[in-house]
Amino acid sequence: MNPLLEQFLSEARDFLQGIGETLMQLENAPDDADLMNELFRLVHTLKGNSGLFDVPEMTRVLHAGEDLMDAVRNRRAVYSRSLADALLEAMDFVGMLCDELEADGRLSAAHGGSSARLVEALRKPIPADDNRVAAPEPEPELAPARPTSTLDSADLPLDGIPEAVRMQAYRRSCGGECLFWLDYRPDEQSFYQGEDPFFLARQTPELLWCGIQAREPWPPLAELDAYCCMLSFQGLTAASRADLEEQYRYVIDQVRLTAIPRLALVIPGGDPNGGPVYEDFVADARALLRAGDLAGLVRNVSSMLELSGPDLWIASALRWLQLVLEIGQEEGAVLDALVDCLESLAPPRWEASELAAAPSAASEPTSDRQDDAPRAEHGREAPGGERDALSPLEADTLTAVVAAQREVLALSDAPAWLPGRIKAAAEALAGCLRAVDAMASLQSLEVATASALEARSGAPLLAWIEACFPADASIERGPVGLAAEPESPPPRAGAQRPVGEDEIKFGRRAEDAIAAPKSLKVDQVKIDRLMDLIGEMVVAKNALPYLAGRAEAVFGVRELSRDIKGHYGVINRIVEEMQGAIMQVRMMPVSFVFQRFPRLVRDISRKLGKEVELILEGGDTEADKTIIEALGDPLVHIVRNSLDHGIESPGQRRAAGKAATGTLRLRATQESDRVVIEIADDGKGIDPDVIKRKAYAKGLIDETVLEQISDQEAVNLVFAAGFSTTEVISDLSGRGVGMDVVRTAVEKVNGSVALTSRKGQGSQVRLSLPLSMAVTNVMIVVSDGQRFGVPMDRVVETVRVPRAAIRVIKHSQAAVLRGRIVPLKSLNELLGLAAQPKSNDDDELAVLVVRLGDESLGLLVDDFSETLDIILKPMAGVLAGLPAYAGSALMGDGSVLVVLNLKEIL
Amino acid sequence: MGIEFKKNLVVFHDVASVEDAEVLLEWLQGKTGAKADLSACTHLHCANLQVLMAAKPSIQAWPADAPLRAWLESALVAV
Repeated sequence: MNPLLEQFLSEARDFLQGIGETLMQLENAPDDADLMNELFRLVHTLKGNSGLFDVPEMTRVLHAGEDLMDAVRNRRAVYSRSLADALLEAMDFVGMLCDELEADGRLSAAHGGSSARLVEALRKPIPADDNRVAAPEPEPELAPARPTSTLDSADLPLDGIPEAVRMQAYRRSCGGECLFWLDYRPDEQSFYQGEDPFFLARQTPELLWCGIQAREPWPPLAELDAYCCMLSFQGLTAASRADLEEQYRYVIDQVRLTAIPRLALVIPGGDPNGGPVYEDFVADARALLRAGDLAGLVRNVSSMLELSGPDLWIASALRWLQLVLEIGQEEGAVLDALVDCLESLAPPRWEASELAAAPSAASEPTSDRQDDAPRAEHGREAPGGERDALSPLEADTLTAVVAAQREVLALSDAPAWLPGRIKAAAEALAGCLRAVDAMASLQSLEVATASALEARSGAPLLAWIEACFPADASIERGPVGLAAEPESPPPRAGAQRPVGEDEIKFGRRAEDAIAAPKSLKVDQVKIDRLMDLIGEMVVAKNALPYLAGRAEAVFGVRELSRDIKGHYGVINRIVEEMQGAIMQVRMMPVSFVFQRFPRLVRDISRKLGKEVELILEGGDTEADKTIIEALGDPLVHIVRNSLDHGIESPGQRRAAGKAATGTLRLRATQESDRVVIEIADDGKGIDPDVIKRKAYAKGLIDETVLEQISDQEAVNLVFAAGFSTTEVISDLSGRGVGMDVVRTAVEKVNGSVALTSRKGQGSQVRLSLPLSMAVTNVMIVVSDGQRFGVPMDRVVETVRVPRAAIRVIKHSQAAVLRGRIVPLKSLNELLGLAAQPKSNDDDELAVLVVRLGDESLGLLVDDFSETLDIILKPMAGVLAGLPAYAGSALMGDGSVLVVLNLKEIL
Repeated sequence: MGIEFKKNLVVFHDVASVEDAEVLLEWLQGKTGAKADLSACTHLHCANLQVLMAAKPSIQAWPADAPLRAWLESALVAV
């Protein structure tokens, strides 16, 4: 998953949480304008963010939510609980999409319909007049027709579709496919959004018929606006709803899909006059139907067709009758109705119940949401009714299986394998029952099977089939079968329910699915506490070697001592890993500070009229959070300095033979336990002479230094307090606080900063920072019987200097080390201890050479001890006022080690 | 260019883009009894389509592409 999406998802969850909370607060204080604004802001931001990704469903819902909040905010709509419900529902939906995005990296197309419904729910409370402005797509006159979509098919211009196409569609529907009437009305402005609605319509899958219409009569050609879409597209398609929603996912709110029951296609058409006399045929047909002689009827129909002119209405009706007979899936009532219409010459009126009973309608659960619940309840009443819940294919298969069993059982011969045949049939029927989940009927089946075996006849089982699957007998038994069919619920029942009561449920309310996000937001205090604990663990661990020493020295148990040391090794390893893991938690990538620079550099360079290319490298280098946070300001200073003083204007650059565009490079790398950040520009660099003169003029250096100082040292003078080279103080830099501040900030986190520059070729600032501040490596020295810690990064070397080699210059001591004079100071003296430094047996003094800025200095101590990793705790309370100490740490033997702050005591 | 204008005949080639619609409309506005040849057309942007529907030129040749022809016939024959 790309980082942008990751961040979006993590933010989106926060936003959703925020929206939920704000909504909850609004419940208690519905008039709070601030809360309302906050809510709007949250929804607005989330929408904006979602626009970055290919998630039209999410954006659309959020957009509708934003419109709604805007309306509420401007008092065009009233905040109400149902409004909050709609919004919460929408946010749940968005949350679900987020989960899916996280899991799959993309959204499946199936959400188009849900999102369109949510949008509709969200738009409802917005007053109509601005609804149209905000959302021109939903056709106002179409909206009321929606809930009754099952019956809609009667209102559709299906008779405009050629008969042959309808027949083909009918065949496909009987083959188990769903038919949809597609009505696509593109937005009038769609051409401006780069859409080609015609192209989109042409790509409709499984299109059986298509048509294009103008929505209104065309204006005179002279007034026609070619770029205001006035078309609507219709089509009849055998594709599934999901496929269609996928195809139209970006414009789902402009598309209306209506499920077409196959019977709705059975509309005879043609010339209603003339033709042979049909009364006889109708009478014959009825008699044949009653007798169940379908083959006879087929014969009659085809001979009648030959007699009729193909363009006649009657001929069309006969063709339909022929088709229905050929496919043989309809119930007797349908055939009756077709025969009736031959007599009356009126198109068959398919009753709603018949349409609903047709499998193609029943198989479309999403087509009419409100209908679902009552139908499902109803389906529990009888095993026959269960089939309503099956897909058309399943229902057809079931019918076929049952019919086959019926045929087998109806065989009148009595072979030796009759019991086997009965058992096989019973097994198949039991399978059918399981498929429709009608376990209750299994018992009666067993009884029937037993009696059939006893009687050595299929009759008891046949009777059972009649009782349990009555609908399938209808073809043989005529209309009686229909009576046995459970009555379909009135489809309108659900539509009249108050909206909101059975609002769209996605089964993903907060209590249903507790999302398990992969990242945790933890209060930093908790991490710090973990850090403290691991620090104590380190201390406790460090006590073990002492214990081992005691075991050996005091109690003389060498083996125990060895065991303790062995265990110490194990615990040591675990503790170190644990410490590393906790540190890892606090790690942040450098990109966290880098990310602000592209904008900053762009703004500043525009302001200065310079052209700068910013290159960021190593953004994924990680360091402790405190370090990263401490980096921010120094980096901004340095970058500003580079832009202001370093990189020249394009004209100057060209004159100097460089590319007009300057380059500023920020690179982060890790070098052992330090993170190094380099800020390099290819500007004019720093002129050491200018710096020297400036520093002298400002009294930062005296004449002797001015003479002696090397160029490199001069360059580093920019870090001195109060130094600035530019003549003019701009709002960017030049107030003489820049590099000084940088140095202070970096040193605060035990970092160092170095500047190198080559005149005319650019400068480079190098910041070196510890990866983590948590663990400090210290060297322990002993002075006047006390132990002190000195941070290792200050220590240059430890040497033993013979007392004779120490010179006293005036009152200061000094020694020559490696050809350089190193001033010596006694630690005791610095700390106000009265004792003299002790020497060893060879009369040598221990000198700890430390680095202080650019100088080295020798500290006279009594003795050196080991180096140690400690968790440095700053001095707290009353002791915080003692600047001589950087902090304290607990040692393994329980003693306290104070760590010196060398800068302060020297 | 997806559209070629002859004396009184507009010939569509391959794909007529959205920009073509404006030119087409202007051309048709100045003609009476214009004819259109769509035989080489594989697609035309919706805007072109509605210009044709509004201007009702007589269609001299339908597209060779059968599905496209079905769409266009539904729009252009009916009017």
